[in-house]
Amino acid sequence: MRKLGLALALLVLASGAACAAYPEKNIQGYIMWGAGGAMDNVSRAIVPIAQEHLGKTVILQNRTGATGAIATTFVANQPADGYSILFGAENPNLYKVTGLSQIDYDQFEPVFLMMANVGVVIVSKDSPYTSYKELIDAAASGKTITMGSTGPGGLPYVATTMIEKIHNVKFNKMQFDGEGPCITALMGGHIDAVAVGLLAAANFIHSGNVKGLAMISSERIESVASVPAVTEIYEEYRPYLPWGAFFGAFVRKETPAEALDALRSAFTKAFQDPRFDEFARTMGGVKLGIAGEEAKKYIRQNQSVAAWLLYDAGGAKFSPEEFGIERPQGK
Amino acid sequence: MEQNLQYFLIPFLSWEMMLLIWVGVFAGIWVGAIPGLSVTMAASLLISFTFSWDLNSALALICGVFVGGVYGGAITAILLNIPGAPAAIATGIEGYPLAQRGEAGKAIGLCTTVSVFASFVGILVLSVAAPVIANFSLKFSPRDFFLLAVMGILLIGSIGGGDPIKGITAGAVGVLLSMVGMDPSTGELRYTFGNIYLMAGISFVTAMIGLFGVSEALIQFRNAGKKSPKQNLDRIIPNWATFLKYLPLSIRSSLLGVFIGALPGTGGDVAALLAYDQAKRTVRNPSRPFGTGAYEGIVAPETANKGAIGGAFIPMLTLGIPGDAVTAIIIGALYIHGLKPGPMLMIETPHLFWMIVSCLSIASVALMVLGLVSVKPFAKIIEIPKEIIMPVVIILSVIGTYAIQNSVVDIFYMIGFGIIGYFLRLYGYATGPMVLGLILGPMLDANYRRAMQGAENQILPFLEGFVTNPISLFLTLSIVFLVVSQTSFYRRWRGLE
Repeated sequence: MRKLGLALALLVLASGAACAAYPEKNIQGYIMWGAGGAMDNVSRAIVPIAQEHLGKTVILQNRTGATGAIATTFVANQPADGYSILFGAENPNLYKVTGLSQIDYDQFEPVFLMMANVGVVIVSKDSPYTSYKELIDAAASGKTITMGSTGPGGLPYVATTMIEKIHNVKFNKMQFDGEGPCITALMGGHIDAVAVGLLAAANFIHSGNVKGLAMISSERIESVASVPAVTEIYEEYRPYLPWGAFFGAFVRKETPAEALDALRSAFTKAFQDPRFDEFARTMGGVKLGIAGEEAKKYIRQNQSVAAWLLYDAGGAKFSPEEFGIERPQGK
Repeated sequence: MEQNLQYFLIPFLSWEMMLLIWVGVFAGIWVGAIPGLSVTMAASLLISFTFSWDLNSALALICGVFVGGVYGGAITAILLNIPGAPAAIATGIEGYPLAQRGEAGKAIGLCTTVSVFASFVGILVLSVAAPVIANFSLKFSPRDFFLLAVMGILLIGSIGGGDPIKGITAGAVGVLLSMVGMDPSTGELRYTFGNIYLMAGISFVTAMIGLFGVSEALIQFRNAGKKSPKQNLDRIIPNWATFLKYLPLSIRSSLLGVFIGALPGTGGDVAALLAYDQAKRTVRNPSRPFGTGAYEGIVAPETANKGAIGGAFIPMLTLGIPGDAVTAIIIGALYIHGLKPGPMLMIETPHLFWMIVSCLSIASVALMVLGLVSVKPFAKIIEIPKEIIMPVVIILSVIGTYAIQNSVVDIFYMIGFGIIGYFLRLYGYATGPMVLGLILGPMLDANYRRAMQGAENQILPFLEGFVTNPISLFLTLSIVFLVVSQTSFYRRWRGLE
């Protein structure tokens, strides 16, 4: 009888502990890209607001490397208790087809997708190429053009592959730890051009340090209205658009609903906060603000465009079919 | 011009900012000194902590902690032979023997004075030449960063504190360990043996805490019971003559530090190392032979890493590119407060630049006062029996390691490195080179890959670049000189043997 009483008491205590509200302690946030890049900026802009609603601190760290695979794999191996958040971009969508990693967003549940990011092809202000056509013609004539890259699967890499496929040219690629370092290298003249997300490039285009040659989109973007949309110059891009990067917060699939809901609610409130609005406006990103099923659908669509693009261009080791990735509609 | 002066005066007119700077410097000194805690970690926590504050107050505190923190690492290096940061390794090599002779007071006093001087040099360069230097630093290609890393690796042997061969061996092990993890370009796993914890690589901070703090504590257990040397604290503040004697060296080293700090991605650690080596080469008659307590060996690295503080702000404020880890975190803070770090920063928010210059200046003055005032209490720490201090060091190391990313695995790593460090030192190997190897390895690896990619993976163009590009040529010749100057042929020619 005494033993039963003891067992019951322990059970009550244990369940009491389990019932303690999330979050009980600080949360770790792992950003898959480096300091100063778009992913880093978006994460560091929304997290301080979100943590006001959570009541605990989210400690942010950059865990870079292997196009975000290091951070993705790391968080996938942490306990699914909601205390490890992955701040990720669109790169994991391509891990399986490039053979980089077997762990991608299939193992995760999207908490919230904050922003989308359109690609822009930029050159330094002293570049001999003053228009997109000149750049493409130079590449087509056999001249070696060095494009910056952030690794297989990154936005610059996929954009470059798209360009190579459409114009039947080949670029030389130099790899950096993120879009920020790519832009630094561009300004120093160590690479000829790079396709990066507008979020990273906007400030540099405004200050005149770099020139935007073309937006990888079917229409111009308000904050950099002087940069032509690529479809204005080459209609051939249209079937691949819209395409771009996205930035979101993710937790492991098996995370308890209580934690997931708390996080989702905090991020949604942070997203609607005027402070984040101001940030989004000045950075030139496209606000997404989706979660749940809608987010999953968005991610799948992004994956199918990028994976099949890469595969058709010969840049993928494995066929998307092997992983059940469907062809995007009408391509 | 007048506008700029107004901006410069902002912190002087706000008692809140003034207080925060002084508090920051004080806190920074302790954070930098305590083994296990680091400036980067403190800055990171401060960003979240100050999120809801006014931007000016937040920046004032962070600047204070930055300045104090970089200085703090030297204190424990001198007193306990435990560098608080890699930037203080060289300082410890010369400073610890001084403390053993009872001259800790003089050592710290000199260290403080020249640190403040160097800090002002960095701030001056920042104020006067920031855009010029920033643009120049952009010209550094991956090949040049590779050469800098090679230079750093070559110098590792010289900070072995004893047998250079053993120093190089330890450094080589450090570089080897830095290769563990995922390949930065292709994501291939290297030496991970299927263990996911190894996949993220070996964090040099954890290794450093173990190799410096814990290994020193373990070694000192063998000295338990020995009386600690009594410290002579009569004259701490160096007199004018002393200061002037070291002035040329201070200026050289701080300028070197400013420049290295201005290069994106490299900071005080590399600067201190290069400055220490430069001192060993250029100082004819050191106060004592290097390695046994030469004051020059404290002046050079400490002025370099303070100069690097101002230097790190150069690319950060003019281009929005972080000069080192702490400025990268400060960029995050600026975003959070609604600013746009980047080339537009000085144009759209000009007050920010001068306000930061001002905060750093006030922080330097605070450093002078607080640093000197703290000398006596710090020096007394040495006199505490080892049996009490060393266990405290171990506890702090565990706490500091866990504080990085709440990972118990890190603690095991740290203890493992501590034990490795203990055995290394038992056999005469130094641990400083190993930590530097861990830091320089990735710099060597990634930049070599980029340089090759730039040459389209062709050997000839790759090698050509070393002689055709002026910066690369200069660095290559410097490395050749570094190597040749060690050979007996050269030394005989210069009459040094």
